[in-house]
Amino acid sequence: MKNIFSIKTLTSILYFLCGMALMGGIWELVSHLTKHEIPTPKETWVVFKEVIKNPMQDDPDYKGIGTKLISSLKRVGIGFGLGSFIAIPLGLLIGSSKIAMGIVNPMVQILRPVSPLAWFPLGLAIFKDSPQASIFMIFICSLWPTLLNAAFGASHIPQDHKNVSKAFGFSKWKYLIRILLPYSLSHIVTGLRLSVGVAWMVIVAGEMLSGGMGLGYFVWEEGFNGGSVAKILVAIIVIGVVGLVLDKIFMALQKKFTYAV
Amino acid sequence: MSNTTISTSNHAVADAILEPILNPANAIEIENVTVSFKASKGIYTAVQDISLTVKKGEIVSLIGHSGCGKSTLMGTISGMVKPTAGTVKANGNVITNPGPDRGIVFQNYSLLPWLTVYKNIYEAVDAALRNKSTAEKKELVEANLKMVNLWQHKDKLPGHLSGGMKQRVAIARAFAINPSILLLDEPFGALDALTKSNMHVELLKLWNLDNREKTIVMVTHDVEEAIFLSDRVVVMNNGPAATIKEIVDVPLPRPRNKKEIVHNEAYMSIHDKLLSLLIDKFSINDIH
Repeated sequence: MKNIFSIKTLTSILYFLCGMALMGGIWELVSHLTKHEIPTPKETWVVFKEVIKNPMQDDPDYKGIGTKLISSLKRVGIGFGLGSFIAIPLGLLIGSSKIAMGIVNPMVQILRPVSPLAWFPLGLAIFKDSPQASIFMIFICSLWPTLLNAAFGASHIPQDHKNVSKAFGFSKWKYLIRILLPYSLSHIVTGLRLSVGVAWMVIVAGEMLSGGMGLGYFVWEEGFNGGSVAKILVAIIVIGVVGLVLDKIFMALQKKFTYAV
Repeated sequence: MSNTTISTSNHAVADAILEPILNPANAIEIENVTVSFKASKGIYTAVQDISLTVKKGEIVSLIGHSGCGKSTLMGTISGMVKPTAGTVKANGNVITNPGPDRGIVFQNYSLLPWLTVYKNIYEAVDAALRNKSTAEKKELVEANLKMVNLWQHKDKLPGHLSGGMKQRVAIARAFAINPSILLLDEPFGALDALTKSNMHVELLKLWNLDNREKTIVMVTHDVEEAIFLSDRVVVMNNGPAATIKEIVDVPLPRPRNKKEIVHNEAYMSIHDKLLSLLIDKFSINDIH
């Protein structure tokens, strides 16, 4: 318990508060410079309280911000889950086999730099359904970081670990579950962390394109079309905080799967 | 007539009993072994045309400067390195791969950092001794961990152990598969002097517990360590294409005492001999 209130945590809390204050100050300044075209933090706070008054409202004609957030998260979860499900084994495979690497790597190199948004119309053409198209888009863009990091992990297993396997005659299965997987795990989680970051960024853009549901739709419809810049700011804050939480979850996992030698 | 036949057969029995004691079988036979690697600038020969025989129950050290190919030579015994020419036999069988008849202790412990001490040994036993039942394997792990006094640390990860403890885990792991040959590749190189001394005594204790039947080959660059532990010290020339420079016998009686042995005259002369084989410059006056 003592550690929580150590000097180190206190200073980091202090730095955090300073950062927040600085951001608030800049925000305040910008809103004055734009003659309140951009609302001040205080004005935004009022709108924020109003928006979250009934977050889980789920009527056919109006859905609360919590409902929208959950629908966005659900789509990210499905797309990211499917993407990881394919990227992890494929990454481990190409990391372990030079032949697989030679075949798969050029494909990855060509497809990886494509903007995730470019996949949206393709998904639309395939599924004829915009929510599914945004899941497709998330699926594609969460493949690459996980794939590349899993491959990196699998191809960089230290000779020491391979020697143990060789010296004691590990079976292929034992090598896979006792050496390859545990060693690659921290790299895989790094990949997942990057993937979920990209996925969370892309879902907002996807929902702006697809409309109907999610936080992206909220930004576009209620914020921009509804003429409330404060709502756009509220959405930006919610998106930012959720993104941060997702990142922290994967960071904690990363720590858990990194071992001192 | 019948008496003579009985006496000859008695002789035969006596010979059969005495033979392995007087003239123990060869545990390791290295015959004209050359190891070459493909390097960026053509072919690099690490060791050339080396022959060496190690008897059962013998402790032999390979000593030489860094990069003299002693670890490579050791690799041909463990089966991790394939000789380019020549053959290596362990207990009469030509070595093609690592096997459970040879236990290896690596220089940097080589424990799997995500497995507990117990699991590190269990997985090795499980892989090497496939015919044993789970209960038998567990028994082996427990016995060997207790032997190196690490049973109370069995649930720790290697990252939470000191260097000496890690090396004891590695030694327990090698002993657990009960190999007839134990190969130690600079096993104590990373330990401080005090821990190292303790480990020497512990290693000999384990060897004694096993009735001195295990053959031990050790790579080292520590002269004192080589003399204290070995029956013979193999001094190697500098590479590339390293060969054996000389084999020095260490006829010191066992059990040896760390403190007393250094005052023994035979010890001192062996020590001097090894030093002069390894170092040709002893003071700055010798450097011209």
